[in-house]
Amino acid sequence: MSHNDEIDCSGMSCPLPVVKSKMKIDTMSPGEVLKIITTDPGSCKDIPAWANRVGHEMIEEAEENGKYYFLVKRGD
Amino acid sequence: MSKSFTAADMYGWIEEGIGHLYLDVRNEDDFARFHVEGPNNIEMLNIPYFDFLEMPEESTEKLDDSRSIRVICAKEGSAQFISDMLEEFGFADVQWLANGIVSWGNLLVAKQIPSPEHYEVWQFNRPGKASCSYGFAYNGEVMFFDVSKDVSFYQRFAEDRQWRIVSVFETHLQADYISGGPSLAEACGVDYLAHDGDFATSNITYRPVVDGERIGFSGAAGPSVLCTHSPGHTPGSTTYVLDDRYMISGDTVFIVSVGRPDLGKKVVEWAKQLYITLKQRICVLPESLAVLPGHYTDWAREADDAYLIMNDFGTVKALNESIYGLESEQAFVSWVEEHMRPQPETYDRIRKVNAHLDEVDAATAEELDLGKNQCAASQG
Repeated sequence: MSHNDEIDCSGMSCPLPVVKSKMKIDTMSPGEVLKIITTDPGSCKDIPAWANRVGHEMIEEAEENGKYYFLVKRGD
Repeated sequence: MSKSFTAADMYGWIEEGIGHLYLDVRNEDDFARFHVEGPNNIEMLNIPYFDFLEMPEESTEKLDDSRSIRVICAKEGSAQFISDMLEEFGFADVQWLANGIVSWGNLLVAKQIPSPEHYEVWQFNRPGKASCSYGFAYNGEVMFFDVSKDVSFYQRFAEDRQWRIVSVFETHLQADYISGGPSLAEACGVDYLAHDGDFATSNITYRPVVDGERIGFSGAAGPSVLCTHSPGHTPGSTTYVLDDRYMISGDTVFIVSVGRPDLGKKVVEWAKQLYITLKQRICVLPESLAVLPGHYTDWAREADDAYLIMNDFGTVKALNESIYGLESEQAFVSWVEEHMRPQPETYDRIRKVNAHLDEVDAATAEELDLGKNQCAASQG
């Protein structure tokens, strides 16, 4: 699936991946999709938990070569 | 900038009943899976750190700013972040847990058990796991039982007292935590003692213990350890009786409940075995023996006034009359089946790691090792 913007949080540890993702998605419009890349294992649960909590939609989660990829659609 | 505290500080506060408000900022799943518990009531709130990011005012309003707040997270970054934020909101006394919840999960608290003067018995309580390991020391030598994976703790403990570690015992192949036994024994060049019933198929070098055998310290005099094969929780479970006074019961006898016999997926067979063990091998032991169990479930019911997890065997039998009073094998098996619940999916893997049939890196070991045990056949 395509995305509108991307943020690479590789090497960052908790809470930075969520902090940066929040700041980025806040600049986007409802319905737009943000791709998030992380390496912190803690982010596997925290990114989806944050997205669900806040009303964004978790579209895709994947792991490849030690990196985690998330597609999050901004809620209203 | 806010200050940090250690897991040991936290244990001390909880034991002394100091009324901090604990704020766990991990996500709700991780909190539900494992969180801080202790011998006294703990006021605990779970508000994920991202709630504070999204809704700082609403989230902060849930906290009383006149209270001392102690913040907990997975590693420490988020707890520190939230502590700093709370300070900015005017909270006067906020601290964060250094090294995160894992440091609580691994904390060992050493307490001496009352004993005759010529030897010492120690309980090492791991509050994050609700499990206990033990030390038995005489004449400059110490034996350890059921050690957890942080072997440096036991080495330091012995060094500080100038004790030589002479043997490392295991009551059974552990399923709920990663054992430090084989590595401690290897590091000290001493025997790792365990029963063939659990370890024959492992990849571990061990010295088999035999039912009825007495193992002493290096001199001929002094107290000894009587090995009593007590299968049921596992086929090789062994109860170690120290100096005819203490029963290191592993996961066979708990202060409340008994060790669940359903972990090996042969419920009926192992439950029958446990019934025979309890009737013929355990209940024949003196009621004056102090039970020193491998686990507990509920601090409030299982700890004594000094926060030691122990009680005399007579009292333990009375506390568990509904189990020890079951008068037939069939009734016992039915009781076990009624109380069965799923075992954590990590247990199979932990067993393999403990038998050296599977190798994991340090991070995976840490992950597998975290969380409270689920070893009792009944919950309260």
